[in-house]
Amino acid sequence: MAEPQMKDDQSVETKSNRFKNGLNWLWSDYSVVIAFIIIFIAASLMSPRFLDINNLMNILMQVSIIGIIALGMTVVMLSGGIDLSVGSVLALVGVLTVTALNATGSVVLAVLSALIAGPLIGLLNGLMIAKGRIAAFIATLGMMAGARSIALYIADGGSISGEVQSFSLISNSELGIVDYPIIIFLIMTAFVYVLMHKTRFGRYVYAIGSNEKSARLSAINVEKMKLSIYSLAGLMVSVAAIIETSRLNSISSSSSGQLYELDAIAAVIIGGTRMTGGRGKIIGTFFGVLILGILNNMMNLMNVSTHLQGFVKGLIIIIAVVFQKRE
Amino acid sequence: MAYLEMQSIYKSFNQVPVLKDVTLELQQGEIHALIGENGAGKSTLMNILGGVHQPDKGLIKLNGQAVEMTSPKKSQEYGISFIHQELNLVSDLRVYENMFLGSEIRNKFGFVNVEEMCRQTTDILTKLGVHINPKEYVRNLGTSYKQLIEISRALLHKSKIIIMDEPTTALSDHEIDRLFDLMRNLKEDCISIIYISHKLKEIKSVCDRLTVLRDGKTVKTGDLESETLDSITHDMVGKSLSEDRMIEHEELGSTVLKVEDLSSPEQFKSINFEIKKGEIVGFTGLAGDGRTELFESLFGYRKNYKGDIYVNGKHVIIDHPKKALKAGIGYVPKDRKENAIIQDLNVIQNMSISSLSHFEKNGFIKGKLEQKKFTYYKDQLNIKVHNPRVTIDKLSGGNQQKVIIAKWLELNTDIIIFDNPTQGIDVGAKQEIYQQIIRLAQQGKAVIVLSSEALEIMKICHSVYVMYQGEISGYFKGEDATEDKIMSYATGSKKEAVPVG
Ligand SMILES: Nc1ncnc2c1ncn2[C@@H]1O[C@H](COP(=O)(O)OP(=O)(O)OP(=O)(O)O)[C@@H](O)[C@H]1O
Ligand SMILES: [Mg+2]
Repeated sequence: MAEPQMKDDQSVETKSNRFKNGLNWLWSDYSVVIAFIIIFIAASLMSPRFLDINNLMNILMQVSIIGIIALGMTVVMLSGGIDLSVGSVLALVGVLTVTALNATGSVVLAVLSALIAGPLIGLLNGLMIAKGRIAAFIATLGMMAGARSIALYIADGGSISGEVQSFSLISNSELGIVDYPIIIFLIMTAFVYVLMHKTRFGRYVYAIGSNEKSARLSAINVEKMKLSIYSLAGLMVSVAAIIETSRLNSISSSSSGQLYELDAIAAVIIGGTRMTGGRGKIIGTFFGVLILGILNNMMNLMNVSTHLQGFVKGLIIIIAVVFQKRE
Repeated sequence: MAYLEMQSIYKSFNQVPVLKDVTLELQQGEIHALIGENGAGKSTLMNILGGVHQPDKGLIKLNGQAVEMTSPKKSQEYGISFIHQELNLVSDLRVYENMFLGSEIRNKFGFVNVEEMCRQTTDILTKLGVHINPKEYVRNLGTSYKQLIEISRALLHKSKIIIMDEPTTALSDHEIDRLFDLMRNLKEDCISIIYISHKLKEIKSVCDRLTVLRDGKTVKTGDLESETLDSITHDMVGKSLSEDRMIEHEELGSTVLKVEDLSSPEQFKSINFEIKKGEIVGFTGLAGDGRTELFESLFGYRKNYKGDIYVNGKHVIIDHPKKALKAGIGYVPKDRKENAIIQDLNVIQNMSISSLSHFEKNGFIKGKLEQKKFTYYKDQLNIKVHNPRVTIDKLSGGNQQKVIIAKWLELNTDIIIFDNPTQGIDVGAKQEIYQQIIRLAQQGKAVIVLSSEALEIMKICHSVYVMYQGEISGYFKGEDATEDKIMSYATGSKKEAVPVG
């Protein structure tokens, strides 16, 4: 916003200042995009196979599940909360979905039960947090243990496989060269983006994460909002669970979804969302997810031991947080 | 020679010049008033002195030596303490922990010395006439206490210069007097104070010299002795303002709000009153009189209360602000940073957050409509902002307050409660806000104004309720109100039965 009538004797400095301000703005709003570009270029220089279209699609395919979960996590974290239960809930929803599939033989009913179970569990999280006034960290930690345990109980500790083959079409079909899960991920990103930036819901989420007391005094029904927020996160987990289950037409009650909460939170933080809420962007999370995906892919291409991949991820999270603190 | 000289300071934010060739000189052992309209650049100038912002150009000299305030820490090392305009306490820490944040006292083994810190905290607070347990959590304290803790924290360091940016906005007269005594003592010890306030009477009573800023320029500097309230006002806003009552006796309409026997344990008890269409009712009293709690309850923010509320004759149950809004009650809270501002939203979004349905089409928020409405309020309330898409904390304090008022004007409720509406607002803009309030009443709204400033109440209210320790201790017509009368009821030395209906 340059004001033409105010050009006075400081024009020498303003030029360099303007440049600096421009950079500052770019950096503070889009640092994750810049980081993404740098990592992308580095990756393509380091491994010639990286730029192969199949490899790129492969990356997108691999991040789609975490990506969808991370979208819900972003909303939760923007509101000042956290959801540690996503991984376990994914396993539980998966188990329920396959059970429903086998019981009814209908793909539609299986998908429907998944889409109902996730938000219901999310609603339960929300109730504990909003009505029971339990800290989000504790409430969802409890849910994390509880959901996993019920999944194990239903599946008797093992995996269960779907008996209807067409269910696996969801994850194993493609449109041109683009796999369905990627398309679902992109659609979900667009959906949550619009929700957060163009609707009342999104505005309220930011307000609650920024200053809950002011939000309440602005006549926002904070409790009800929290119920919706955690239900939305549950819905995202449902979608992710459907993709995960459909991939191999089976789900493991013990290992599916393990540490997904970590990856999702990592993507959100790398994407620039503030831990305490109020500030962050869906686009940031989108690129955060891609960055994680590229790093994983690079480590695979370069034969880094899978055991070391956690270390690299941890390092990246810490670096991202350090950058955030600097602002 | 002056102890502190700030020479030809320039500062712009995003190419918008805020300070243009500002000069400030501070003598040793003086209390120097820094005044000017909202957005004139007072806080910015002090942020430069306090090392929060860097000047684009200009020189700071301490004792004749050029110095650079590269960080708040550096500024503190040069002996400058800063009481910021907005509260900066950590509410999850205890009082003494806040006082010594970052400069904890340690014993020879490196452990923090809690006893010593508590002792010093108590010492300083006692000087200000405050008796609170230093181990109390800050979140449990009222705003006036928080402000007093901010002040005490600045006094802790053995500073040569203390910057006070509107330190009294949440204090009652009694506490202000204490503060002034303390300031005069500090002056005796050769400590200099820069005092920013919009309350010109305070300035007249405690300051020695003044500097007036207007639009980022120094327009005047000199002794206060030769000045009158009128001439200062004139320097600040470029015109004179009348002190007269702004409303006449008017015909009032039917009863809009009726409150019967409202009580809440340890906050207020047996509150009865009613308000008619077109009436402006004032509630005043000392700090801790329970008026804020009363109206926070009426607005549904507090739920722990008993009694009956009737809006337009209909009994309503209000246990959430949302329900209050539905019943037609709006509430502009006091202490904007804690209760009203949403720091991470931009200026426009802060204006529209409670009335998003006005800006929606098919479920989507229309940025254009929001922007248009904001421009309307910007002109109406004269809000100074270059780019309304910056987050609201970039605005000067007074302009933030105007945005909050705009937010509630947009809701356009039949009953509207203003709690300390002119907090941090300059003398000129105050007048405009009063006019807004009066206009609301003329449109047939019922308006309630909560204020600790007797003058404010006398200026714009048709009737006045005075509260003392959670009860209504006095009621009279606005034209009968005098400062003495209000004071005698507010301190509990007088009490009368309140007529109902
Ligand atoms: N960090 C910032 N970024 C952008 N603009 C800013 C920033 N800080 C202040 N400004 C602008 O600088 C101008 C002066 O603000 P400042 O806070 O110094 O006013 P003030 O004199 O203290 O007013 P008040 O009496 O309302 O507190 C305002 O127009 C404000 O919008
Ligand atoms: Mg200010």
